[in-house]
Amino acid sequence: MSEETSPPTPRAAGKAVPMFSLGRVRTIAGSTVTQLVRMKTFYFLLAFALVVVAVGNFNIPTTPAKELSMIKKVSFGTMDLFAWLFAIVATALLIPRDIEDRTLYTILSKPVRRIEYLFGKLCGVLVVVGTSLLAMYAICAIMIFARENLYISSEYEAMTASGQYSEAEIAQQISLIRQQGLRAELGIAVLASFFKASVVAAVTIFLSTFASSSLFTIIVSILIFLIGHAHTMATNFWLHESNHSIFVQILVKVVRILIPNYQLFSFSEGIVQGEAVVYALVWQMGGLTAGYLLVFLLLSLLIFVDKEF
Amino acid sequence: MSEPAVEVKNLTKVFSIGLKKEYVVAIDNLSFEVKAGEVYGLIGPNGSGKSTTMKVVLGLMAASKGSAKVFGLDSGDIRARNEIGFLPENPYFYKHLTGAETLQFYGKLCGIRGSALKDRIAELLKLVDLEGAANRRLGGYSKGMLQRIGLAQSLIQNPRLVILDEPTAGVDPIGSRQIRDLIMKLREDGYTVFLCSHLLEQVQEVCDRVGILFNGRMRREGTLDELIAIENQTTMTLENATPELIAEIHALVGTREGARIVEERHPRTSLEHLFIQIAERSRKENP
Repeated sequence: MSEETSPPTPRAAGKAVPMFSLGRVRTIAGSTVTQLVRMKTFYFLLAFALVVVAVGNFNIPTTPAKELSMIKKVSFGTMDLFAWLFAIVATALLIPRDIEDRTLYTILSKPVRRIEYLFGKLCGVLVVVGTSLLAMYAICAIMIFARENLYISSEYEAMTASGQYSEAEIAQQISLIRQQGLRAELGIAVLASFFKASVVAAVTIFLSTFASSSLFTIIVSILIFLIGHAHTMATNFWLHESNHSIFVQILVKVVRILIPNYQLFSFSEGIVQGEAVVYALVWQMGGLTAGYLLVFLLLSLLIFVDKEF
Repeated sequence: MSEPAVEVKNLTKVFSIGLKKEYVVAIDNLSFEVKAGEVYGLIGPNGSGKSTTMKVVLGLMAASKGSAKVFGLDSGDIRARNEIGFLPENPYFYKHLTGAETLQFYGKLCGIRGSALKDRIAELLKLVDLEGAANRRLGGYSKGMLQRIGLAQSLIQNPRLVILDEPTAGVDPIGSRQIRDLIMKLREDGYTVFLCSHLLEQVQEVCDRVGILFNGRMRREGTLDELIAIENQTTMTLENATPELIAEIHALVGTREGARIVEERHPRTSLEHLFIQIAERSRKENP
């Protein structure tokens, strides 16, 4: 069975390996994307589509504008939930599985730096989360657009048929519906969900570098996510509104630094409700997300770099 | 004298267990060398420290004391990985990838791209006889096929040193034979092979030199001839010998003081050879 193979090339030992290779990061990210896609993780989009279709077909006795607002609120809320949950579960499965299956041995025995491995895994998850969010947004957009046009035409017909409304009043009513309909600004709400899911994935990667199992990682990540949503409230209580010892105050400060403030990402809720977008805030949140990613990636590396397998 | 492929000097590896900080010495002051171009086998029972030694050489673990070098480079130095191909025990590569995609993945990690990578993948798939299964996902591979694709991935960047941890563990005799043939082929092609196993017969067949590890310590080391030859005995196999000739030999031996015939029997084929012969015959009859 054996055929000719190239003999090992005599070369100087110690061929230089670059400090950081984007090519290797891309390779690991690409493999992570393929892994998640072939694990059929995108099937959850079907569940999401069902939720959106169900919400879109509720008949609530209210105004069309309010109904559209409700559809958006539930759909974007579900989208956000799916995004962060997916980010946790997908990320928590990757590194422990590589260790259990010894795939990590073969990867790290190649000239791959550990930071490249971690960064590649994170990028892979983010690509899948981003793609999922875009797909979910497309499903939402179709539903909102369809409902919006349906409401506009039925409202126009009803108001015209009644003969009680002037053209200006009809236009105002339609404008109200349009305000709650499909607008380009909704894309910013999707971006906010992506920012949040990215931070969640980075925290999960950090946890999985020292966790003993995927289950532990998932549970602790969800716990951190929940604590992160009570960040401001807890800080106000423990640091400003009560007389706690210095020890408690230091502890709270440390926790405040370590646990990301997920509440900050809730600015998307206002956008979904039709509020104007403050672009400076979006940039600020983008910067904050990049900062969190960097910090958690470095913390992960700190643990992972000397980890023995 | 050429640089050794692997140089392990006074290597000690201690693991701390639990919160009470109990210590377990996995490797105890181990020293050995693997010369460039040879097949070196490290044998020992389970838990003797073989895999730990390999992991230190691969840079997956740090030594508690002592050093491990690969072609003169410290095993923790990432540049040493360019020179190493590694096949772990019972490898489970990404099951979602096909054989060709697996080689492509590892090739890209080693910085190989484009037509060079394509040609190398084709060459290695041919070498390990998996051309027909190149586009099949690894989830559907048998144990032997997984070992062979694992061997192919270990060779993807054309390393000078190939490290194999229990390369035939759990593989049937035919698959096992194929892997042994491949190891011999690697030696012919100039690769250095460093393997760990507790399957002594296989090690005996392929290794130039052997080290026997027990409780983390090197107990014996040397060439196979040095280790297993019985100095005061000689084996002679005769073909077409008549009963008269055998009687003459007996008579001659009887005249020499101290000399005696210890054993006399017809040579046998091994059960493994017999199994392979039958399997190959059946395959020819029912292709």
